[in-house]
Order: sequence, then C-alpha cells, then structure tokens
Amino acid sequence: MEGILAIWQRDLTKFFRDKARLFGSFTMPILFLLIFGGGMSGTMESMMSAGLGEEAGDFNYVEFVFPGIVAMTLLMTSVFSALSIIEDKDFGYMKEILVSPISRVSIAVGKMAGAATVATIQGVILFLLIPLLGLSYDFTALLQVIPFMFLFACALSGLGLLFASVIRSTQGFQMTVQILVMPMIFLSGALFPVNNMPAWMDVIVKVNPVTYGVDVMKKIMIDVDTLSPAVVEAMGLNITVFGRQVTILEEILFILGFAAVLVLLATISFRRANA
Amino acid sequence: MEPIIKVTGLKKSFKKKEAVKGLDFEVQEGEIFGFLGPNGAGKSTTINMICTMLAPSEGSIIINGYDVSKQKDKVRESIGIIFQENTLDKKLTADENLKLHCRFYKVPKEKREQRIQEVLEIVDLVNERKQRVETFSGGMKRRLEIARGLLHYPRVLFLDEPTVGLDPQTRAHLWEYILRLKEKEGITMFLTTHYLDEAEISDRVAIMDEGRIIAIDSPKALKSELGGDIIELETENNVSASEEIRRRFPEAEVTLQDETMYVKVPDSDAFVATIIKELTAPVTRLNIRRPTLNDVFLAFTGRKIGEAEEQGKAGS
Repeated sequence: MEGILAIWQRDLTKFFRDKARLFGSFTMPILFLLIFGGGMSGTMESMMSAGLGEEAGDFNYVEFVFPGIVAMTLLMTSVFSALSIIEDKDFGYMKEILVSPISRVSIAVGKMAGAATVATIQGVILFLLIPLLGLSYDFTALLQVIPFMFLFACALSGLGLLFASVIRSTQGFQMTVQILVMPMIFLSGALFPVNNMPAWMDVIVKVNPVTYGVDVMKKIMIDVDTLSPAVVEAMGLNITVFGRQVTILEEILFILGFAAVLVLLATISFRRANA
Repeated sequence: MEPIIKVTGLKKSFKKKEAVKGLDFEVQEGEIFGFLGPNGAGKSTTINMICTMLAPSEGSIIINGYDVSKQKDKVRESIGIIFQENTLDKKLTADENLKLHCRFYKVPKEKREQRIQEVLEIVDLVNERKQRVETFSGGMKRRLEIARGLLHYPRVLFLDEPTVGLDPQTRAHLWEYILRLKEKEGITMFLTTHYLDEAEISDRVAIMDEGRIIAIDSPKALKSELGGDIIELETENNVSASEEIRRRFPEAEVTLQDETMYVKVPDSDAFVATIIKELTAPVTRLNIRRPTLNDVFLAFTGRKIGEAEEQGKAGS
C-alpha cells in the first residue's frame, strides 16, 4: 500500500509542478467546448432533434455535449499520463523503482491511480465552466459522477499503461495515441449520438469502452427520467448490445472489469521488464 | 561463516550469444569485492542477474541467504544499487528523492528523518537537502545516489562504475566516503570500475573476460603472482630490442604496447645494468616499478583495460 501511495504521490507532485502541462491540458477541452458548445450547437440541435416534432424544445445540445467533452478530457489526460512511464525509463528512474521490493502489482496500480487522479482533477475543474455555458446540472448528480469519472479514468490509464509497455519511444507513443484517441472519441457518442451508424462502424462503437463510460456519465448528469423517450432516443442514450438494452450497472461493471484486466496486463509487463 | 553472495554455475545466453559462460564465486560479509573487466566481458549482465533485473539461463545466486530466482523481494530488500547511469528524479528535491526511497523500501516512518539526516551527513549534502536535483553537479548527484542506496541499510551495496564521468578530486572524495562507510557500517561492497587504481582498495578482485572469471584473489596476491618488477623501456628500435632481450634473457616476459616495452624480470638490478651497457638499440627511457592491477590485467588478458574497452565498443 505504501508503495502504491508513493508512486501515486510522485506523479501528482510532478503534475502540479509542471505548470505548462497543467495549463496546456485545458486548451483542448475549452477549444472543443467553444466549437461544439458555442458555434455548432444550433446546427447540431436542429439536426439531432429533426424527428422530434413538438418535443424538440426539450433537446439541449450543450447539455448533451458537456459530459462528452469532460469524458474526452479524461481520455486524453489518462492515456497521455502513461507517457511518464516511458520518461521514467528514459531518465533511468524506472530502474530505481524496479530494483526496489515494491510488488509489481503496486507499481501498475500506483501508476494507474496517479494518471486517473490527475485526469479526474482536470475533469472536475471543467465543471467550473457549467454556469458560463448557461447550463444547470443537478449538484448531487455532479457529486455522484465524480467517483465514476475516477473509475473510468482508471480504465483509460490502464490503456495508456498497455501502450507504454509495448512502445519504447516518446514519439512513437504520441503518434499511436493520437491515432487511437480521436476515433475513440468520435465513435463513442461523446460529441454526437451514434444511433444510425453503418453496421461495421456500429461494431466499433459497441467494442469501444469509451462508449459505455460516456453513456454512464450522460445518464448520471443529464436528468434522463424527466425527458421523453423520444428525446432520450435522439440523444443515443439507449445503447443496445445484441438487441438488448444495457443497464447503467452493467456498463459500470464492464468498465470495472476492463480496468482490472488492464492492471493485470500492466503487472505482467512490469514483471518482465528489466529497464 | 556463510558467504553473503554465493554464485554457482551462473550462465546467461542471449539468442545465439553466450554472454556469461559459467561463473562460480563467493563474496564474504564485510568485504570490498572488485569486479573488473572490459565492456562486453559480461560484467553488466552478471550484475543485472545478481540484482534480480535479469533471469539467469542456468545456475544459482544466493544473497544474504535468499535465492535470487525465488525470493526476489527478500533479495531486493537486502541490496542497494548505485547504477552507472543516473537514476534520480531530477524534477524532485534531494529530500523528496530520499523520502520516496524510504517508502519503496518500507523504512519505518519514525526512523525516516533520522536516517535521511544520517546518510546526508555521510555524503556532505545536508545543506542541499531542499534543492531540486536538476541544480546539482555531477559529483553531488553521485553522492546523493550513494546516500539513497544506503537509506534502507542494505547488507550489500553494488557500485557500478561509481566514479565514471567525475573529476579526479571528486573521485578521490567519493572513495573517502565509500571507505568511511565500510569502516562505520561494515557493509559488503560489490564494485565495478575500470579505473584499476581505484580497484586497489578492494579486499579481493575478480577479473572477468569473455564471459568467464580468469583470476580471483586479493590485489596483493595477484600482483605478487606476476613476480618481480616491471621495467618500462623505450628504445630507438623497440622491435629489434625486444627480440634481443628475449634472446639474452629467456626468463624475461616482454610485452610491446604502443611506444613502450614492458619487461618483467625476477631480478631487475642485474637486468637493467646489462641492457643499458649492451643493448644494440640505445635506450631512450627507463622506469622500474612494482606491478599494479593494470599489469595483472595485461598479463591475464593480453590487453590494457582501456584498449579492451575500445575493442569491446567497436565490436558491439
């Protein structure tokens, strides 16, 4: 436990010390909020609510896209934080960790928790923009979503750990992550509903773990029960797998399982590593 | 007494190349053990196996009574390692680096402060404690690493080329610290260096070449095994002079190295008197000295350690 905490704390200390990274990491989500939330919201709203008829007034695109952009921030920060593993290898610090008696599971969990904490903090800071965007989410819903954001960020950092264990160079890592992260966001329902996709794309949407994370966040933050079924349908919030609608609990369990498998894989890779 | 390190039949192969071809040796508790050899001799591979970083292909290593293959965590707790390259976190302060190490090695909370103070005193870095490591000079970083390696009171301290890249003054200081440690704490030290004069402080040295240990004994014994004095000789024609010496003194061992001839004879007085008078090629320089570890290395491998190094690099 002490080992996990030490590794976790080191990554947090370094994150807060790196001012450029701290501020730089907010530019992307704010840019997306400006483009999708401000500029394109009218267009998106009329496109998405086209079939709704008189219920169209209940549909607010900014309310829909905000949790998606928070999820996107979680994804970017979590995955990119795994870059610290490659840096530690380059600067030799990984050796200090690997020759110490810390169990390899603790190294994996510590690294994962570090990245997930940083990502969650960033996501929560974005909540400050809610009043500026003219939105109002239920305060308890916001409190409820934070633990899930952490869990989701754990799963995503696990993905980063997996990449970092296979890829040796910083540049290679950045390339791979860029290539993978963008489609993971676009095909997750974060920015627009992924309802009527071609069959092959629908398969990608359904195997993409981000889809379920985004869905859970939206279901918690947007007051789904008060909306009519047609609006929920238009928002793409009733995902079906093999013709059956998945519940929020199943989605959370899926993310949990996904995180567990990735910790296991990362542990194996640390066990084999000889820096 | 049980040896603190016991290596038996140790082998390591990489794909087709056999890097370590069967090592057997023991290190006694409290000893300074020098591990010498050129690059590519298998030194680093051996150390990595002893430090649990690399799995052996064959053979066994026991440290402090624990098996390196089966009880990795116990072995890791028993050893401290100062790596050749820097492994400090430069963005953190000296203090933060040391505290992290305490936590990695489960040093009890109430003992941390006192131990950090203690190791910083040994390496004279008490006043720099709150500074970031990126502001440190090369020598300070090395000292901090040594301090960190000692924090968990290891039974064996591995020092892999600890003075490489440091200026001579800092090097001398560092050895003072290391000797002070041995006297104060009685820690066993396993050290590699290619400054052979530095290896003289070892109680015993092992010389490794091409995956095997070719000599192992105290520096004194190894040197006396060479027998007699070393005469460094430069003449106007080294080739003909060396042939002449070999003909006239069959008991002399002659090695040609660059511009210099190294001649080893049991009785240097008579030899010098004769060659100055009678050697056909005039003598331009002459020096008589006791053998050093460099001569031991030369005698066992046929190369100076520096040269072997060059060859090792060119080959790799």
